[in-house]
Amino acid sequence: MPVSRRDFLKLSGMTAAGSFVGGASFLTGCKSASKLRGTKESTTICPYCGVGCGLIVSSRDGKVINTEGDPDHPINHGALCAKGSALFQVAVNERRLKKVQYRKPFGTEWEEISWEEAYKRIARRVKDARDATFQEKDGDVTVNRTPGIASIGGAALDNEECYVLSKFMRTLGVTYLEHQARICHSATVAGLAASFGRGAMTNHWIDIKNADVIFMIGSNAAENHPASYRWILKAIEDRGAKLVVIDPRFTKSASMAHVYAPLRPGTDLAFLGGIINYALEKNLIQKEYVLEYTNAAYLVNPDFKFNDGLFSGYDGGKRNYGDRKSWTYQMDAKKMPKRDKSLKDPHCVYQLMKTHYSRYTPEMVEKVTGCPRDKFLKVAEIFCSTHKPNKVATIMYAMGITQHTVGTQNVRALAILQLLMGNMGLAGGGINALRGESNVQGSTDHALLFHIMPGYLPAPSSKDHSTLAAYNNTTPKTEDPMSVNWWSNRPKYLVSMLKAWYGDAATKKNDFCYDWLPKFSKPSPYIVLFEDMLKGVMKGAFFMGTNPIVGGPNANRNAQAIEKLDWLVAVDLWETDSSIFWNRPGANPATIKTEVFLLPAASSVEKEGSVSNSGRWAQWRYKAVEAPGPEKTRGKSDLDILNTLFLMLRDMYKKEGGKFPDPILKANWNYVPEGEHEASPHLVAKEINGYTWPDKGQMKTFMDLKDDGSTACGNWIYCGSYPGSSKNLMARRGLDDASNNIGMYPEWAWCWPLNRRIIYNRAAVNRKGEPWDVDRWVVKWTGSKWKGDIVDGGPKAGPQAKNPFIMNNEGVGRLFSPGKALADGPFTEHYEPMESPVANLFNSQKVNPAAKIIDEVRGQFAQIGQYPCVATSYRVVEHWQAGAMTRNLPWLNELVPDMFCEISPSLAAARGIKNGDRVAINNARGTIRAYALVTERMQPLMINGKPVEMIGMIWHFGHGCAATGDACNQLTPSIGDANTMIPEFKAFLADIRKEA
Amino acid sequence: MSGKAFLVDTTKCSGCRACQVSCKQWNNLPGEKTTFFAGPEYTNPAELSAITFNHVKFFPIDRTNPEKTIWTIMHKKCYHCEEANCLRVCPEGAISKVEGWVVIDQSKCIGCGACVNECVYKVPHVLNENTPLYGKEGFIKKDKSYKCHACISENRRAVPLCAQHCPTGALTFGDRTALIKRAQARVKQVSADFPHANLYGLEQYGGLRTLTILKDEPEKYGLPRVGKAIDLRRAEAIKDAYHLFAMFTFGLPSLKRVAYKISRSLMG
Repeated sequence: MPVSRRDFLKLSGMTAAGSFVGGASFLTGCKSASKLRGTKESTTICPYCGVGCGLIVSSRDGKVINTEGDPDHPINHGALCAKGSALFQVAVNERRLKKVQYRKPFGTEWEEISWEEAYKRIARRVKDARDATFQEKDGDVTVNRTPGIASIGGAALDNEECYVLSKFMRTLGVTYLEHQARICHSATVAGLAASFGRGAMTNHWIDIKNADVIFMIGSNAAENHPASYRWILKAIEDRGAKLVVIDPRFTKSASMAHVYAPLRPGTDLAFLGGIINYALEKNLIQKEYVLEYTNAAYLVNPDFKFNDGLFSGYDGGKRNYGDRKSWTYQMDAKKMPKRDKSLKDPHCVYQLMKTHYSRYTPEMVEKVTGCPRDKFLKVAEIFCSTHKPNKVATIMYAMGITQHTVGTQNVRALAILQLLMGNMGLAGGGINALRGESNVQGSTDHALLFHIMPGYLPAPSSKDHSTLAAYNNTTPKTEDPMSVNWWSNRPKYLVSMLKAWYGDAATKKNDFCYDWLPKFSKPSPYIVLFEDMLKGVMKGAFFMGTNPIVGGPNANRNAQAIEKLDWLVAVDLWETDSSIFWNRPGANPATIKTEVFLLPAASSVEKEGSVSNSGRWAQWRYKAVEAPGPEKTRGKSDLDILNTLFLMLRDMYKKEGGKFPDPILKANWNYVPEGEHEASPHLVAKEINGYTWPDKGQMKTFMDLKDDGSTACGNWIYCGSYPGSSKNLMARRGLDDASNNIGMYPEWAWCWPLNRRIIYNRAAVNRKGEPWDVDRWVVKWTGSKWKGDIVDGGPKAGPQAKNPFIMNNEGVGRLFSPGKALADGPFTEHYEPMESPVANLFNSQKVNPAAKIIDEVRGQFAQIGQYPCVATSYRVVEHWQAGAMTRNLPWLNELVPDMFCEISPSLAAARGIKNGDRVAINNARGTIRAYALVTERMQPLMINGKPVEMIGMIWHFGHGCAATGDACNQLTPSIGDANTMIPEFKAFLADIRKEA
Repeated sequence: MSGKAFLVDTTKCSGCRACQVSCKQWNNLPGEKTTFFAGPEYTNPAELSAITFNHVKFFPIDRTNPEKTIWTIMHKKCYHCEEANCLRVCPEGAISKVEGWVVIDQSKCIGCGACVNECVYKVPHVLNENTPLYGKEGFIKKDKSYKCHACISENRRAVPLCAQHCPTGALTFGDRTALIKRAQARVKQVSADFPHANLYGLEQYGGLRTLTILKDEPEKYGLPRVGKAIDLRRAEAIKDAYHLFAMFTFGLPSLKRVAYKISRSLMG
């Protein structure tokens, strides 16, 4: 029986198949193309942004011949952007490393060494650094940590690699563990988690087609997530959806918008606060939803106050809210929050909000943001039209929201808006945090961050989690029978993770080796990590596919910090700006002591494993070819590199002993299949999914995880992804839609949690279980069971039995974020960026009063008037992040070959600059050179009656790679958000002049 | 005019330039050396070339309507005219129609530049120096004319990769009659935002196989409203003169090019 291509894949999708040897073009459909004759085809996922487009790789004789969009992939249907289209040049590129490169201390060039030699030397450096700096105790508390080593990077690694990196580093005791997620979306995780309980994009790419309004702020998706426009345009064409774009510049995204509204960088909270006020004033809220599914009716502690930009409990000396006791609900005798469903009590959240946001008038919005009043009102009107139960808006946002000293609160404001409109949980709704790296969702899930462990379990701190009992004492609790309070299961997830990490060594008697986990005493987010590196705290560091001297804030300072390291291990496809930091312009290699190991990595088409896209879909990629170069010296997967290093370290500790060797000697670490030589991503994926202990039966759901040591699970949120020994659901290619027919494609790949495609979907129905909109229902209650998507919070409880926001201990969405969820306030408030051209018109606080200011850089911040222009940074479609994956690709360098900035014709005229001139842009942190693009897309904004000019810069460039240019981040400040310390890349001050 | 066609919809183009790159990937064409931007906004290189068969041009924004700023981003490739000047003037018969597409046979091309001169859309280009292919052994030979061949070359595709990769549907490929129908409906659909929107390519040069939905009048984008193929008699006269001179060129392309230049100046 003839089987169509699609049917064949459906049949084979459950297994590890996915690679087809055959005549040309089984998948591509190009039957007569001579270039594809005799090629082998395999599927892969694009390694660039977080959309997760599918590609087909054709190879012959171990060489990639062609890469193109996968026509069956439900997100991209065969399409790609310029970067995806250029993937071929990642695989076939003369700049790829084919041997390990070694730079000796004070060396002026690379030398080539063998893998064996590199492993041996690196293992030695790691062991020496660990043994020399290991701390067993901090006071009375066992901390077992290694401050001498840092690990940075991982958002481009596969899930299996991220998980093993997280486990490897923590087993060594590393707490200086950070990566790209800190500087791109950490504010998202904090802001969304404080509102809904989870920190991820709620819906997914295809679901954008179901929206009535697409509200895009702080995102230039046309440039950075091009495939999303396929679904935006579909919503516009098929449903008559309205697209609203709010951005300081008229962007490619704005060019297709129905309404474009400008705003000054760093004033999102004024704009969004204005919409909140508009909705409350005009009563344009989804009343039933707000009453039932949010904390609008909850009564707040009468001691809670707000005055002149400060909430109650502020400690001016320490610049923090040390006392957040008043940020709480009033409790009744049964320890349940008091409520007033009439919403009249002056202490109820709704009334507090009305008062709080009443200051955000359209006049104030215009004065502060520079957005003309009529444009603002048009945006507010279109967005608030979705307060009707059967109208839905989706919010798409990215770094323009997160990279501010108020980044987390920006995200909070979006959450508040979507709760007021009743748009959470619905098809075409939700808050869609657009992820910029192919696996930054997965690298965050697997916790390459100092403050969390896999599955968003808090990382142990010496202060709050001195013992397992202390850790479990912080488990969220509730007395409310309507609340699922899913986090009450946390102890099971922790013990299962410990079991996966330490195996037989982890017993009930020894608290499952809880003390083997390192505990941090001081938060060390990205900026702090580099400040500590500059102080010489670390001896060595790992850079796993990361480029911090282009991508980090205050990049000159980062480069100086790296010079303080004794050794650096960089794993990458090619030389990057950071791995040759010792040879950067202005540096003298003869004075730089750092020993550098640059290990060649396998690219995304040269290894196997999964990546999680922005919509939480874990998708499996196959190995098409080996990394380029001779067999003995060519690149290896990061997984294999980490595995070999770990086993070598284990050998060394076995032979030589050393500081606290137990975790290294006894870790559950078996990743090389019998009879093979390479670590297998399947073995890792099975551990991540979890199995029963000791008989290793794959777990099917995290609901079966236990806290008694009978289950092992590396990351509970991925439990169910690999539920049988040859049942890898992440590799599925089924194209049948679910019964609700809204484009969820539940048989395509696998999505956390439990293949739930839209999280908080319990809020998609009213208390009777009827969908708010019958035409695009997500779930519905039949009276005895749920239909449609996998319902949030367990299938048994009906809509009246449980509240929808199962990850919050009160079970409802938070308009007011109580307790210690946030460091800077339960409501949002506008503060100016650290560097701003004007005073704050909303209150007398200048910058976010809880933002941490690092003393060492205090003098670098510009005052009002010191530099006249507001500067901001962004990206273009042709390049990706810090540029290492694109600036070596000739096809992309043809399109954007040079560093450039964008300025308005009026600023250009004032400075005598013409389009194409070389300009210098400067502030207290540095001076960079760029080409000037003079464009009417940039316009000065009237801020409180005075025009303010902007300088926009791309931040992809640096001095390594084929295309070179100055790094924008030499100018960005070392200041971060109050909750996560995400740097303020998006609003700072600078000046510009024509180069002589 | 039946058969296949491309449809460019500038109201849907986000300027991602997947088309420009995809073409290079499928055809193993190298990237061009550029500096800053060679045209308005992000345009790079300035135009189509002998190694760039797909090009995206960014026009400066138009702010005349305060309610609706217009930014046109336009994909360009060979228009594959039904009555193609390049084909009419090629003295060596190197340009022909294959399934309706205008295709250059480089083995016959002498690089005289006749097609380059006569194409009002500035599509074909003669390569100045031998240029290595990317990702494949071999060279693109100099002194030959090159342009889009709609992927009906030896590496034939059912759907050219430029169109398959377009993420927004701004560049599509299909049956010309069906595309026209769809395009006309689209023009109507967008007329509120773009009152001068029109479908370009129905009439020009006997009808084009690359049709374009424009947001405004063709002149704004440098496209001739009326396109009439050159007089066949004049083209034939040039060719006749050329064939006469060509007898004394010993088959050398360089001399053939001189012969063509003389013929053109004599008969043109």
